[in-house]
Amino acid sequence: MLVNDYMTRHPLMAEPTMSIVEAESYMGENDIRHLPIVGDGKRLIGLVTRQRLLVDPGRLGSLDVWEITRYLSGLTVKDAMIKAKDVATIDLNATLEDAARLMVKNKIGCLPVLEQGIVVGIITETDLLAELTNLLGGTGPGVRVTIRVPDKTGEFAKITSAIASQGWGICAAGGVPAPKHPGYWDEVFKIRGVPKDDLVAVLGKIEGQEIVDVREV
Amino acid sequence: MSVDFGWTTNTDDHRTKTPVLKVENLAISYETRTGDVPAVRDVSFEIQRGEAHSIVGESGCGKSTVAFGIVSFLGRNGRIVSGRILFQGQDLVGCPEEELRHIRGDRIAMVYQDPMQALNPSMRLGDQMTEVLTVHRGIEQEEAEEICIQMLGRVYMPDPANVMQRYPHQISGGQQQRVVIAMALLNDPALLIMDEPTTALDVTVEAAVLDLIAELQREFDTAIMYISHNLGVVARVSTKVGVMYAGEIVERASVEDVYLQPYHPYTQGLMRCVPRLGMDKRSSYLYPIPGRVPSPTNLPPGCIFEPRCDYAREECRRKRPELRQIEPRHWARCHFAEEIAQEGWTPPEGLIPDLSALAEVDETAEPILKVEHVKTYYEAPSKKLITREKRYVKAVDDVSIQVQKGETLGVVGESGCGKSTLVKTIIGMEKPTDGELEFIGLDISKPASKRDIAIIQELQMVFQNPDSTLNPSFTVGTQIGRPLRRFKTVPSDQVHDEVIRLLDMMKLGERYYDRLPRQLSGGEKQRVGIARAIAGRPELVLCDEPVSALDVSVQAAVLNLLMEIQQELGTTMIFIAHDLSVVRFFCDHIAVMYLGQIAEIGPAEAIYAPPYHPYTEALLSAVPIPDPSVEQKHVRLSGTVPSALDPPSGCRFHTRCPRRGEMLPDGGKICEEEVPPWRDNGDGHRILCHIPLEELRRLEPVVTTSGG
Repeated sequence: MLVNDYMTRHPLMAEPTMSIVEAESYMGENDIRHLPIVGDGKRLIGLVTRQRLLVDPGRLGSLDVWEITRYLSGLTVKDAMIKAKDVATIDLNATLEDAARLMVKNKIGCLPVLEQGIVVGIITETDLLAELTNLLGGTGPGVRVTIRVPDKTGEFAKITSAIASQGWGICAAGGVPAPKHPGYWDEVFKIRGVPKDDLVAVLGKIEGQEIVDVREV
Repeated sequence: MSVDFGWTTNTDDHRTKTPVLKVENLAISYETRTGDVPAVRDVSFEIQRGEAHSIVGESGCGKSTVAFGIVSFLGRNGRIVSGRILFQGQDLVGCPEEELRHIRGDRIAMVYQDPMQALNPSMRLGDQMTEVLTVHRGIEQEEAEEICIQMLGRVYMPDPANVMQRYPHQISGGQQQRVVIAMALLNDPALLIMDEPTTALDVTVEAAVLDLIAELQREFDTAIMYISHNLGVVARVSTKVGVMYAGEIVERASVEDVYLQPYHPYTQGLMRCVPRLGMDKRSSYLYPIPGRVPSPTNLPPGCIFEPRCDYAREECRRKRPELRQIEPRHWARCHFAEEIAQEGWTPPEGLIPDLSALAEVDETAEPILKVEHVKTYYEAPSKKLITREKRYVKAVDDVSIQVQKGETLGVVGESGCGKSTLVKTIIGMEKPTDGELEFIGLDISKPASKRDIAIIQELQMVFQNPDSTLNPSFTVGTQIGRPLRRFKTVPSDQVHDEVIRLLDMMKLGERYYDRLPRQLSGGEKQRVGIARAIAGRPELVLCDEPVSALDVSVQAAVLNLLMEIQQELGTTMIFIAHDLSVVRFFCDHIAVMYLGQIAEIGPAEAIYAPPYHPYTEALLSAVPIPDPSVEQKHVRLSGTVPSALDPPSGCRFHTRCPRRGEMLPDGGKICEEEVPPWRDNGDGHRILCHIPLEELRRLEPVVTTSGG
C-alpha cells in the first residue's frame, strides 16, 4: 500500500498567474478543495485551498463596491497560496500510513505527491478514508467480527487457523490496540459467505479471546 | 439518518469526475484564397482519466485537424471558429500563449505516425531525450540520463543504455516509435494524443506497441486520444470510439456498441467493407460504400452522408441531423437511426454478388508459374579494405512456389522478409542469382529487358503507391493506351475504344479519359493502375500491396474489382499484403515468408488453422481484428527480423521462435544447428519446422469467437 497506487494521478493544477476569481470558480465547478500551483515542468510553487481564498472582511470593510471589485480582480493565486516551502508533500514511494501521519500531524487534508520535485499526483483525506473502507472489506457483504485478543504473539494465528480449519477465508482484516484496554488488541476482519452463527460458534471456542462485536453487513 | 451505500468495488468513485479532455461543439476552419474551408464542425466528446478514446474515420475526415486543434497547432491559416476545448476543466481556446505552452509541454504529449519526423536525425537519442528533462525541468544531466534509461526500460527497449548513444537511423522503426513514446511519457502527461502511431509499423511490431500503450495507460492513468483509420487497431486499444465523417462525428459509443450494433448508416457501411479474419471470397462479399466523401467546401444541405446513404429520404435532404442520444451512452447523427437498425440491411440491386461465378481452380492442371530454388542476392559492400570475400544480402533464398492458372497466391510476412524481391524477380526487375523460373513453359530467369515482348505482356504488375507509378504529365487515357499500342493488343484505330471499355470495367467511365493523375483520388488512381496492368490481357498479374495505401471503403471496391477481373478474364494473381484478413479473404493459396524463405505454404484455410508454423501463429495473433467479441491468443515475437546479410544458422526463425523451447527437447537446440525439414500436412500444406506436425496440431487456434 504505497502512495503511488492510491493517489489521484494527474490532479487539476493551476498556474501562478490564474486570478483568484478564476481559481474560486475553477475549484467550485470541478468540486475540488485543493489546487496545487505549478510552474514550468510541473514544479510545485504552492497550494491553494478553499480557506485560502476566503478574503478577510475586515480588509474590505473600508472599501466601496467598485474598489472591492478592483481589489479582487488584481489578486492572483500567487498572492493567496501557501508557499511551496510551507506545503507538506510526500514522495511517490512512501507508505499510506506515512501520508496519514503527516496529515494528522499538520492537521491538513491533502498532500501533493512529488517525484523528483514535480507534482505527479495528490492524496487527500478522502483517498485515505476510501482505502480504510476497502481495507476493512467495505466493498461487499459478509460477516464483520471484532475480537479482543491479548497482546501476545500467536493470538492472531489462533483465529486464522480456526477459520482455515473450516475451509473459510478472510477477505479483509485489520488490528488496533484496544481502546481503553491496555495490553489488548482488537482484531477486525470480514468473512464472506459464512452464516453468522456458525462463525460465532467456531470463534467462541478460542481460549483467552473475546468476541466484542459481530454483525452481518 | 439512513444512507444506502450500495456495495462498490470501484475505488475511484470518490475522485474528481472532471474529464481530462472535453471538447464541446468544436468547429475549425482553414482560410484559403477561395474562402473558409470548414474542416471540422460540431465535434463533441470527452475523455476521462485513464481512458482510451479513439477517433476513427477515413482520410480527410478531419481526425488530425481535431488533434491539432486541441494543442492549437493549426498552422497559420487554421483557426477555431467556435466551441470549447476543456483540458482538466480549463478552456484552451483563447488561453494565453504562454500558459498554453506550459500546458502543452507539461501535461499534454503527442505521438505521430512517423517517428523519424519526431526525432532529430543529427542528435544522439540520449541527448534528445535528456533535453526534455534538463531544459524543461532543470534536472541535472546525469540524473536525467538515469531517468531516460529507466523510461526506455519501461517501454521494453532492449539494451536502453546502449540505445541512448545511438542516432535515430541506427534503430528500427518500431524502436524509434518506442523512443518517441518514452519521450512523450517523460513528463508524465495527463493526456496523450496519438495520431496513427502504428500505421507505419509491421503487424508484429504494431501488436507490441499496442500492448505497450494499453499497459502504460493502466500504469500512468494517462488519458489517451487515439486517432486511426484502422478499425482493427481501434477495437484493440480503446474503450470508447467516435466515428468521424466529413468533419463531423456521426456516431459515438463504447467500442462494443459501435462495432456490434452500429446505428449510423456510415458506420454500418464501414463494418461491411472490412474483411473479418476467416471470411473468404467464395462465401462472402465486401460491400463498398458508393460515392465519395464530399469536400468541405461543397457540403450537401441536409445530412452530410445523405448522397451515399442507402436509406436517404426527403427529410435527410432538407434537414441536418443533430448528434442525439439513441441509447444510454450511444449517440448517432441520423434522423432515422432506430428505424434503420430495425430494418436490417439488404444489398441494393446490382450489388448482389454472384459468388458461384468464381471458378474453382483446377488443381490437376500444369502450373502456369513454377519457381524452383530461386535465390536473389544483393551484393553488399564489404567492410574490409582488402578482401576477396564478398558479402551478400540474401533477400530471397531458395524459394520454390507453383501457381495454377486462375488461382491467387498470397504472400505475407514482415517487412524485409523478401516478398517484394520475390515478385520483382518473377517480373524481371531483379536478376535471380540461382534457380529456375518457368512461366507457361518458358524460361523467365532473364531480366525484363532481355525478355521477349510476348512474355512481358503476359506478366504485369500493380504497385502499392499509385501516386508514384502514374506519370503525372500524361492523361489517364494515354497511360492506359500505351500498353495497348506497345503490345498491339488491339489494332491502333481501336485503342481509344478499348481504353474506354477498360475505364468502364474499372467503373470509372469515359469522362476520366482526359484527366491527369492529380485530378483523381487515391482509389481512382489505383484503378487506373489496375486498368494499365490488365490492358495487355496478361496471364499473370503481380500485385504488390495494391490496397494498403487506400481507405477501407475504397479498399473494398478495389478488391471487388480485382475479383471481377479474375472472374471475367481468368487472370492468375500473386498478391502481396501485410493485412492478413485481406489476404485470407482474397487468396486461394498463401505463402508465409520469413527472412527470404518460405516458412509455411498451403491453401488459405489451412494456414489460418492449426497446425501452424510458430511464425504464422505469431503473425495471426498480432493482426488487429475489427471485432471486439473475438478473442486472440497472446503470442508476441521478441526483437526484429535479423539481418539478411548474416541470417541465423539452422532454422532462420530460431532466434525469435516462442515455441521451440517448450515443444522440442533440449530447449530446441536442434533449431540452431540444423536446417528444418518440410513437414507435409497433405493438400499442399507444408510447414518448414523441426517441431513434428502432431505437436503443432495440438496448438490451440489463435482466434476464437466468443458469443458468435
